[in-house]
Amino acid sequence: MDRYNDFAVEDFVWDDFFRQWTLSPTPETDALWDDWIDANPEMLEKVEQAKALVLSLRLHEPEIGDAEINQVVKQTVGRITATDEQVLRPASRRIPVFSIPWMQFAASIAFIILMGWAVYSVMIKSDEKPQLAQQDSMGTLNTSLTEKINTTNETIQLALSDGSRISLAPKGRIRYPERFYGERREVFLEGEAFFDIAKDAEHPFLVYANGLVTKVLGTSFRIKAYDGSREVTVEVKTGKVAVFAQSDPHLKEKVEDKQFQGVILTPNQKIIYARDEVKKMVKTLVEKPEMVVSKAEIPQFEFEDTPASDVFNTIAKAYGIDILYDEALLKDCPLTAMLDNQTLHDKLNIICKAVESSYEIVDGQVIIHSKGCRN
Amino acid sequence: MKSTSPVPEDRVLWQDFLAGEVRAFEKLMSDNFRLLFRYGSKFSKDRELVKDSIQDLFLILWEKRANLNPDAAVKPYLMASLRRLMHRHASSRTWVGNEALQEEDDYFEIEFSVEEEYIAHEATAVRSQQLETLLNALPRRQKEVVYLKFFQELSREQIAEVMAVSPQTVSNLLQIAIRHLKSHWKAESFIFFLLHFLF
Repeated sequence: MDRYNDFAVEDFVWDDFFRQWTLSPTPETDALWDDWIDANPEMLEKVEQAKALVLSLRLHEPEIGDAEINQVVKQTVGRITATDEQVLRPASRRIPVFSIPWMQFAASIAFIILMGWAVYSVMIKSDEKPQLAQQDSMGTLNTSLTEKINTTNETIQLALSDGSRISLAPKGRIRYPERFYGERREVFLEGEAFFDIAKDAEHPFLVYANGLVTKVLGTSFRIKAYDGSREVTVEVKTGKVAVFAQSDPHLKEKVEDKQFQGVILTPNQKIIYARDEVKKMVKTLVEKPEMVVSKAEIPQFEFEDTPASDVFNTIAKAYGIDILYDEALLKDCPLTAMLDNQTLHDKLNIICKAVESSYEIVDGQVIIHSKGCRN
Repeated sequence: MKSTSPVPEDRVLWQDFLAGEVRAFEKLMSDNFRLLFRYGSKFSKDRELVKDSIQDLFLILWEKRANLNPDAAVKPYLMASLRRLMHRHASSRTWVGNEALQEEDDYFEIEFSVEEEYIAHEATAVRSQQLETLLNALPRRQKEVVYLKFFQELSREQIAEVMAVSPQTVSNLLQIAIRHLKSHWKAESFIFFLLHFLF
């Protein structure tokens, strides 16, 4: 193992033995490397970094489903068993059937007819017994969806069959079924829309927009997914929302699970999803957070010699957000202020100025940096 | 290195295949389909073409099964055969006047990416991004070697077989690629460090 003593991070990354240990460790390799790290503690950081790099480096591999593979395999097996039963072998080398142009043509025609029949029969069936029809995910039944495009210059209101309401911004395009069947309520959005979704815990509501999936039970939120833009944003007004990428390897599970998986957003939080970037999802706060409590419950934002920690608690509760601060430091910082008419950011700014702190928004939470003010 | 049993499972399967067992054909094809599909997709963006090529490959192997080597290493052998088949496809199609398929002879499309969930530190994030850029910028053959070696975990000899070059060439390509990745990486980290320091 001595040869590793002067390795740099990048040497580890491309070292066979190191990779083997990182990617498929065994008790033996674990012991070997742990001993070596114990003897060379200064290498620990390099090893950790190299490990992270090896694990994080992936390939964009094209996906193919088991069903699709199965179909081709079955078809091929059918082909060899058919030829085996024929009288001896054909004398000439058999050319793969699909390389003959007219066969390709005939096959595509047959395929189209078959698909047409499949779609037709599914639709007929769903007319007959709607309660049994299973709507497949991801809009494979696109044909039965209603499409609305907002060509006006104003936001238009749409009502869905489950009582949900959608405000579709100009140029927005949305596709949804006339009636919702099956376990999930699924719609497809391009552009911007505000959703006010009727509560139905048994039937999650999913919005597919530019590669991002937003899953809710009953809430209101806004999605911006402009065609030309690489970003999708989701802003939550009320309730709880889960978002995940459509490219997520566990997509099916996340879509079907009754529990919420993925990045969870609560009111006043917003997610920015950038498909092509390394850090794909950034959670932050909406631009103008609003209070989540009902009018009657809005607290008085008038403080007199109140510990700053109490002030932050009051605000956090009113806006339904998390404010993280060091309790020990801030309980000795008294504050006197009237903050009824300011926005959340103004409130935070004023308080921070008064108690010599600063704040930042990390992962949808407010973090207060303070040195305390015990003089 | 782990030592596997003298006759690995896929070797048995391969020999059953050569003996003409339809069940072995079916299993061999479905076991290797995803791998081959992914590899084939590096040579053509056309999903259907890749699928058809894999189908053709197995049909041809079935026909020729009496003359195939019973001791072949299955995975690299299949990959090598698919590679040959697809390259032949590409060159035989060009005369029909079909698109610009000639270029596909040189085509090896692969995109490395970084999964952020493993990255805990800012410094590591920067490094991994650099690494991603460097990898994606490698010349085609170096990319393929890196892919076969580190992502398909093939040996030097197997890579040589797949790419139809000598083992020495594989070593050379690999060395050039790794050296390139390391040296540029160092330079870039250094610049990053400088920038960080200055501003």
